[in-house]
Amino acid sequence: MKVLKKLLTNPTSLAGILLLIAFAGVALFAPQIAPVPERSRDPQMIPRDGFSTTPKPPSEEHPFGTTEGQYDIFYGVVWGTRTAFRVGVVITLITTLVGLAVGAIAAYYGGWVDELLMRITEIFQAFPYLLAAITLSSVLQTIYGRGEAAGLMFLAKLLAFLTFGHDLREPVDPIQLSVLTGMIAIIAFGWMTYARVIRGNILAIRDQEYAMAAETIGASGPHILFKHLMPNAVFPVLVIASMDIGSYVLSFASLSFLGLGAQVGYADWGQMISFARNWIPSLATYWYIVAYPGITIVLFVLAWNLVGDALRDILDPRLRRGKGAGI
Amino acid sequence: MLAYIIRRLMILPILALGVTMLIFLMISMLTPYERAALYVQDVPKRQGAIDGIIKKYGLDDPIPVQYWKWMVGNEDPETGEIKGGILRGDLGWSKTGKSSVVEVIQRRMPATVEMAVWAAIPMIGIGIWLGVVSAVNHNKFLDQILRVFSIVGWSIPVFVFGLAVLMIFYARLGWFPPERLSDWASQVVQSTAFMRYTQINTIDSLLNGRFDIFVDAVRHLILPVITLAYLNWAYLLRVTRSSMLDTLRQDYITTARAKGLSHHTVIWTHAVSNALIPVVTVAGVTLVSLLSGVVITETVFNYPGMGSFLAESAVTLDVISVLGVTLFGSVILVLGNLVVDVLYGIIDPRIRLD
Repeated sequence: MKVLKKLLTNPTSLAGILLLIAFAGVALFAPQIAPVPERSRDPQMIPRDGFSTTPKPPSEEHPFGTTEGQYDIFYGVVWGTRTAFRVGVVITLITTLVGLAVGAIAAYYGGWVDELLMRITEIFQAFPYLLAAITLSSVLQTIYGRGEAAGLMFLAKLLAFLTFGHDLREPVDPIQLSVLTGMIAIIAFGWMTYARVIRGNILAIRDQEYAMAAETIGASGPHILFKHLMPNAVFPVLVIASMDIGSYVLSFASLSFLGLGAQVGYADWGQMISFARNWIPSLATYWYIVAYPGITIVLFVLAWNLVGDALRDILDPRLRRGKGAGI
Repeated sequence: MLAYIIRRLMILPILALGVTMLIFLMISMLTPYERAALYVQDVPKRQGAIDGIIKKYGLDDPIPVQYWKWMVGNEDPETGEIKGGILRGDLGWSKTGKSSVVEVIQRRMPATVEMAVWAAIPMIGIGIWLGVVSAVNHNKFLDQILRVFSIVGWSIPVFVFGLAVLMIFYARLGWFPPERLSDWASQVVQSTAFMRYTQINTIDSLLNGRFDIFVDAVRHLILPVITLAYLNWAYLLRVTRSSMLDTLRQDYITTARAKGLSHHTVIWTHAVSNALIPVVTVAGVTLVSLLSGVVITETVFNYPGMGSFLAESAVTLDVISVLGVTLFGSVILVLGNLVVDVLYGIIDPRIRLD
C-alpha cells in the first residue's frame, strides 16, 4: 500500500499509470471504438478496404489512413492494444515462472544441481538475445510448416490457452500460431536474468539471521523456502519483472517488424510498421503508416517504463538512501 | 592476475560445447532434407537424388553421430572429400547468400564492423558524459531533463526511431540516404583501380585518396550510427549516473573538496576515474549487444551487413544460414564478454581477488 501511494504521488509514475489505464480502456472497449466488420474471421485481423497497393491518407472513413493493401490503420492501432497486453503479460508471466523455478531450485539444492543449472543458464546467455529469438522462430516456423511435432503443438496450445483463452481441445488457429511462435522464441531466451537474480537473492537471504533462526528452531526445508526465503527474495523480482512487459512488447514488435512474429494483416503494431519498409523514399508523403502505430507503441512502452523506473527507486533501499544525501 | 584469467578461460570449453549442442538441437528439428544444405551446395529436388544425399552424409543417423559429423566434418564415402564440420570453419551452404555461409559472413562482416565501430565512439563517449553531468546536477533541472530523455529514449523501438530519422533526413530533406554507398560510389569501390585494403569504406577511401567516397560513406553511416547509439545512451547515462552518485558520497571526495581543489578537478579527476569502474563492464556489454542492435538497424536502413543477412534468411526460412550467423554471433558474444571480464579484473583489483 505504501508503494502504491508513492507511485500515485510521483508525477512521472502517475503519468505512466494514467497512460496504462487509458490503454487498458482502449483494449477493453476495442469492439465499441473500432467495430468488427460482420464477415470478419478473427477480430484481430485488420479489415481491408480494397486491394490497392498505395497507402491512403487519413480520411473520414479511415481516421488514421490505410497501409498498402488497404488495411485500416485506426482499427489496427486499437485492436493492437489487445495484442500488446496479451503478448507482454503472457511472456512476462512465463519467463518469470521459468526463471523462478530454475533459480529457486539451484539455490535451494546447491551443489551439482546449482552448478548444472547455472551452466545451462550461462549457455542460454551466450547467445545474442535477438539473434537467438530470430533463429528459434524461423526453426519453429519450418517445423509448423510440416504439420508434425506434437510436443511443440502442445506447447503452442498451452500458450494459446493462456494468451487467447483458446480451447485446449481445438487445434490452434494458424493466425494465432504465428503470434505464438514469436512468443515462444522470446520466452526461450528471456528467463535467464530472473533465474540468476532470484538465485542470488535467495542465497543472500539464506545466510541472514532470521533464516538461520528458523532453521535452528527446527523448521523444515520447504517451510523455510516458501515461508521465509521466497517472499523476501522473490516478491521484488516479481514486481520488477511485471514492469518488463514494455520491453517484451518491444522485442515482439521487433520480430513482427522483421516478418517473424504476427502475420501480415494481424492487428499488431510491429507488423503494421513493417509495411513502411517498402515506402522509405516516399515516407514524407506516407508519414501516417509509421506515425500512428509508431507513436502508439512508444507511448505503451513508455508507460510501463515510467512506472517501472519509479518502482525500482522505491524498492531499492540503496537508491532511496541516496535521495537524501544530496550533492 | 594470471590465475583469474585462467579461471575465466576454463569456462569457455563448457560454453562452447553447450552453445553448439543447443544449435544442433535446433538443426535436429529439421528434416534430413533440410539438413542437406549443411554439406551440399545445390540440394536436388528429385526424390531419388535426395535419398542418395541423405544416405551419403548419414542425415538420418542417430543424433549424437550427426552432431559429431557436424562438428568435425562429413566424409564423402566415394571421393573421400570432407565436407562441413564447424571446427573446420564450414557452416554449410546459404540459399539466401548463394555461397557458403562462411563466405557470406566474410563478405558482410566488414560493413557491420564499420557501422558498429563508428557507433561505439559517440555511444560510449556521450553516454558517459551525460551520466556524469546528470550526477553532478543531481535532482536539479538538468538531471530531471536527462532522466526524462533517458526513459523516453529507452522506450522508442529501434525500427520506429530509424524510420523516423529516415522520414525527416532522407525522404523530406534528402541529406542522409539509406544503404551503404551511392551507386556511383559503389561502382568506383568495386572497380579494379580501387584497392580494398580493409573492406571498410571509410578507411579504404582515405587510403586510396578518394575523399569524395569517404564523404559519401559517412553520409550513409550517420543515420544508422545515431540509431544504434541513441538507445545505449539512455542506458549508459543511467549506469554512469548512479555509479557517480555513489562515488561522490565517498569520504575522499569530501577530503578533496576540503583541501580546496577546484570543483572541476574533484569531479573529472578524482570522482570520474573511480566511478567509471562499473561503467566499463556495462560499456563492454553494450558494445557486444550491438550484435543484436544491428539486425534491426541494418534492416531498416537496407544496409548490407550481417544483421540484414540474418533477417533476410530468417524470413525465407533459410535455417542453415540463420543458425550459422547465430553461432558466429554467439562466439563473438562469448569472447567479447571474456575480454570485458579480464579488463574489469585489471581495472578493479577487488574482482580478481574474489
